[in-house]
Amino acid sequence: MAALGYIEILDVKGNAIERHGIESFPVSIGRAYTNQVIVGDPYVCPMHLTIAPDEQGRLIARDLDSVNGLRGQAGDRVATLEIQSGSQFRIGRTSLRYCSVDHPLAPTAVDGIELVSRLTSPFAAVAAGALVLMALCLESFLSSIERAKAINIISEPLPIIATMLGWAGLWSLASRIVVSHFNFAPHATIACVALLGTSLLGIGSEWLEFFFPAIPMLWLLGLLGYGLVLAGLVYGHLGFASFMRSRARLRAALAVSIAVIGMNTISYFAARSRFSTVMEYTGVLKPVDASLLPATSVDQFIAGSQKIKSELEGLALKAKVSQP
Amino acid sequence: MKRDIYLIAWVLVLLALPMRGAFGVQLTAGTPEIFKQYSEHVVKIEVVETASAAKASIGTGFFADKLGRIVTNYHVISKLVHSPERYRIVLTDVAGQTSAASVLGVDVVYDLAILRPDRRPKGFLALESKPVEQGTRLYSLGHPRDLGLTIVEGTHNGLLKHTLYPKVHFTGSLNPGMSGGPTLTQSGQVIGVNVATEGNQISFLVPAERAVALLEKTSSTANPAAASFLADVGRQIHANQTRYLEGMFGANTPRVELGPYDLPTKPTEFFRCWADALRRKELPYVSISHDCSTDDYIFVSSEQSSGIVRFFHQFLSTEELNPLRFFTLYSAQFQAGNAVMFGNEEEVTPFRCQTRNVNAAKGKLKAVLCARQYLKLPGLYDAVFKVATLGGRNAGLVSTLSLSGVSFDNVQSVSRRYMENIKWQR
Repeated sequence: MAALGYIEILDVKGNAIERHGIESFPVSIGRAYTNQVIVGDPYVCPMHLTIAPDEQGRLIARDLDSVNGLRGQAGDRVATLEIQSGSQFRIGRTSLRYCSVDHPLAPTAVDGIELVSRLTSPFAAVAAGALVLMALCLESFLSSIERAKAINIISEPLPIIATMLGWAGLWSLASRIVVSHFNFAPHATIACVALLGTSLLGIGSEWLEFFFPAIPMLWLLGLLGYGLVLAGLVYGHLGFASFMRSRARLRAALAVSIAVIGMNTISYFAARSRFSTVMEYTGVLKPVDASLLPATSVDQFIAGSQKIKSELEGLALKAKVSQP
Repeated sequence: MKRDIYLIAWVLVLLALPMRGAFGVQLTAGTPEIFKQYSEHVVKIEVVETASAAKASIGTGFFADKLGRIVTNYHVISKLVHSPERYRIVLTDVAGQTSAASVLGVDVVYDLAILRPDRRPKGFLALESKPVEQGTRLYSLGHPRDLGLTIVEGTHNGLLKHTLYPKVHFTGSLNPGMSGGPTLTQSGQVIGVNVATEGNQISFLVPAERAVALLEKTSSTANPAAASFLADVGRQIHANQTRYLEGMFGANTPRVELGPYDLPTKPTEFFRCWADALRRKELPYVSISHDCSTDDYIFVSSEQSSGIVRFFHQFLSTEELNPLRFFTLYSAQFQAGNAVMFGNEEEVTPFRCQTRNVNAAKGKLKAVLCARQYLKLPGLYDAVFKVATLGGRNAGLVSTLSLSGVSFDNVQSVSRRYMENIKWQR
């Protein structure tokens, strides 16, 4: 006989962990083995609940004078409850859902494995490596202020490439130990992408500093960016070097990233509070048409410098207190 | 009779010859006498660290009036002024007898101090305020490098021209340790107080009239609290600022052209300016610099000075580098020299800076103002003001102004006038 529907026993997140086919009504639910749906929950009575259609054909769940009762989706205790396809209710500490056989389903998910395998193929690693090399050579060329020689421009990024390959190699070793596969190509691709991300962040923060020097703590924004790149790096590597599920990897990646950002921030403030004869200012200059630059007036600049005076007075006061 | 007269005349001529010889060597022969006659009025001054009883600085001083007051340099006893609880003064006379002394007054601008010894002296050296002719033979006394009391001969070469603080140019070898000692004429008149040397017989003296003025201003008996001198030093530096900063970089400031830039130069006579250009075949850019600085400064402590004004223009241009590469160079030059040599955490705060893009009269500038505060002299700051012109693609100007030991109001007003003086054709 074909099933009319299913009673699903749900976990705390609402996912079905057991399904019981319903071939006819009434359906009895409880802890006793005489029930059609047996629920192994000590807070559920042996004969806890029945579901049966009424005169109008509506499905009604009825509490059989149980100890802990029947509760609707809102959590209030009821004697009877109208049930439709998808309705959730609770007996004891167990959540249940009724679904008819024609209950609508979510669209089929696209399997991302094919895309991932393409991105982690040796070809992708070579392409990413070439891109990194080009980017580093370009950076080396633009940062050179002497007559550029090709050999210097190409040789300068080589230590960085070597370090990156070493990094990918270490992760490959970890992969070999944990998942029995080296996965060197995907680890190298991930390292390349992270390096490119770091370079782009560096360029972005320089331009931001140049255009908006008045924004305080702009470096913190850059640090957050680096934190995200680091989280992505760890998340990606763990995907190929462990059996961790996606959420666990994300948590691990964020933990590492937050720890690194935290340590950097602490060391920045520690260094700032130490005495130094160095003037720290953002002196980045860019070849931009002056009309595009937001600028303050001379008066505003001079008036704004009063903040330096206040800050120095605070520092002087602090120094006097701390000096014997 | 006539023969007798000739004979007497010849005898006189013959007698006169050795006398002329004696007069001819009188300058050198007089030196030992001068030393003998005046050395007892000169003392060695040691500033001793109380806890360790070790000397922290050494100098010379001399009794300058009948009250027994001693004149020396402020820089000889500056440690005591800055930390009276840590140091004390020990005087040693030519006979080797030691005694203590206290400070009665200081003139930080002219680098002078008046001390009162615990023991009454036998005599003193008279100060001579009247001008002395250039070329006059002078004798300087002092304790160079603690080697014992020494006399040095030299000549008076007039007052230095174009200096902020008048100084006598003494052509003689002063050495460390002689600071605060007297320089006197053959007749024993003190015309200056040893203060500085630039080596190779180029030395400087504080004119005696400044010591006379300080002696007149300083109480002879009252013993001011040691801590009060630091406040006095602060007040003197504050008051002195108007002398050299007022109107600096005003509308009539002389101009110099560097490429398309029309820039301030030599604002007053007491600045020295230098220019140079870096054009080398192996470099794909040209750097032309123009550097001006005050010759003189006020010694505040071994880690601090006041009154130094320095500005530096650097014009960079290229025909080879693309704009992105040129700006790598330009940024590096703008960020270069971001550390100063002097300063410790007992004397100054760390620097704090402000960076902005500023709309100046002739175009946009990247402007940075950094300042730090003096801890023991409240209200005084060191400041560095930097600008770089924006909007160019293969040329740019970095200009830096440094001020030391000035009020924050002066930091702001001088920086503003300096910025207004930077002009260029677009």
